[in-house]
Amino acid sequence: MGEPHEMHFAFDFYPLQSQEHTRIWPFFENLKHGRLTTTKCRNCASILWQPRVVCPRCNHDGMEWIDLPATGRVFAFTAVYAGAPLGMEKDVPFVIAIVELEGSPMKVVARIDDVGYEDLKIGDAVRLKVIDLAGGRVWFRFLPAR
Amino acid sequence: MRKVAIVGTGMTKWGVRAATYREIVQEVGKDLFDEVPNLEKRDVDSLFVGSALVDRLAFQAYPAPLVAEQLGLTPTRLAMRTEMACVSGQSAIRVAYASIACGLSDVAVVVGAEKMNIPSMPEIQSSMACVLDREWDGVNGLNAPPYFALVAQRHMHEYGTTEEQLAEVSVKNHDYAATNPYAHFPKRVTKEKVLGSPKIAPPLKLLDCSGITDGAAAVLMTHGDAARRYTDTPVFIEGLGQSQSGSLVVNLENLTTWNPLKRAAAEAFRMAGVTIHDMDLAETHDCFTISEIMEYEDLGLCEKGKGGEFVMDGQSRIGGELPTNLRGGLLGCGHPLGATGVAQAIEVVRQFRAQVPEERSVGGEWGLCHNLSGNANNHAVMILHRGS
Repeated sequence: MGEPHEMHFAFDFYPLQSQEHTRIWPFFENLKHGRLTTTKCRNCASILWQPRVVCPRCNHDGMEWIDLPATGRVFAFTAVYAGAPLGMEKDVPFVIAIVELEGSPMKVVARIDDVGYEDLKIGDAVRLKVIDLAGGRVWFRFLPAR
Repeated sequence: MRKVAIVGTGMTKWGVRAATYREIVQEVGKDLFDEVPNLEKRDVDSLFVGSALVDRLAFQAYPAPLVAEQLGLTPTRLAMRTEMACVSGQSAIRVAYASIACGLSDVAVVVGAEKMNIPSMPEIQSSMACVLDREWDGVNGLNAPPYFALVAQRHMHEYGTTEEQLAEVSVKNHDYAATNPYAHFPKRVTKEKVLGSPKIAPPLKLLDCSGITDGAAAVLMTHGDAARRYTDTPVFIEGLGQSQSGSLVVNLENLTTWNPLKRAAAEAFRMAGVTIHDMDLAETHDCFTISEIMEYEDLGLCEKGKGGEFVMDGQSRIGGELPTNLRGGLLGCGHPLGATGVAQAIEVVRQFRAQVPEERSVGGEWGLCHNLSGNANNHAVMILHRGS
């Protein structure tokens, strides 16, 4: 039935991603192919983060998938030195940022891998990274675009 | 609508308590009921319980009947839990206000209680991360300290706020907490100690962050005509405002200006017919040092971006423009989520009644309570007035 987990389900932050669990399963399928995507309302053309099944602006329920830029710039960042949630406590310190996607008004929150807090600045360029999780799941982070 | 008053108060010691959720609830009930000997428990027709993470941290859903049983209450009009994360406490007071004002309830007990400390810190932090949108924000390891660190970094970037200015908020609030026997951290700290405390999420250090704290606070509320049955010094709720903005971090209106706070305060002041400059004291939600700096600005106490200077100038200390967080704030008292909003109101009530230690006593007639929750996407403001 479900997908295998590394942790008790109530402590596993990563969503169930397959078609039997979620209507936005294409987001995860696209991510597996290196594409960061979201939904665009077929009626009012609203593009929202995160992907939706109903448009909160016009109440329409027809959505199409669109690609978001795979590069961006750091708008704000910090690093978690202590107080990480269960399953992430061995990763400290890790950098979290708000990333402004290139040429888009859209921002996303994500971890930035392969860089320390001291070596990052507001405005630095970053590019998408897809990570593999237990049970064939995936998630996205970013990397410095060096 | 009827006038609504707070007519009784109860507190427990806050800290890492060798006590369970239900034991803390019993303690706060005793403190409240001891203070109002004229209260017959059978006259309490309503009960509102502000507990945010009781499901995850005390492994107990549906706490209202449990609290009623621990307190020996059998509500007949309205009993419920109010859950709004860190605003759960003020939410309980607001729902009690609404129920009493409209005539459904006559006498209500409000309890804010939280048992936060369990043996596993990562489990606590996981539960705190679920206060944010778990699947899109929490999943990235974001919980309260890194979120408010992003806010602090942007505020420093946009307005030139400094780590020294952040530290001064912690120094001030610990100074006042040292006068508060209920506080989790009743001890003064120096600026050097704040700046040198362990990194949590830069630019925030340990002493920029409120603690993980067990504790409870409770008030008795009734309508204006009944208030003097229970106390000679009722404190009236004259204004209430609440406003929200989004859920996901990237969908907030603005990271460094809290528009929902501005709207909530405007609504509360309009309802009470007063302004920020009429306030004699304020309890604002200093979950992190940056929060209090932005609260000065967005409450209109100083120009935008000048909150750091406001605290450095002593304007939020006794003798300044508006004495703020005299019980020691969340930084000094700790932050048992559902209890905080209730304890803020109790500080104002006890100030009006001259029941606080001399060192932090300002008395006064008008007080403001501000509670925020989540990624600051929800702000609640309440204006209290000393009954004449």
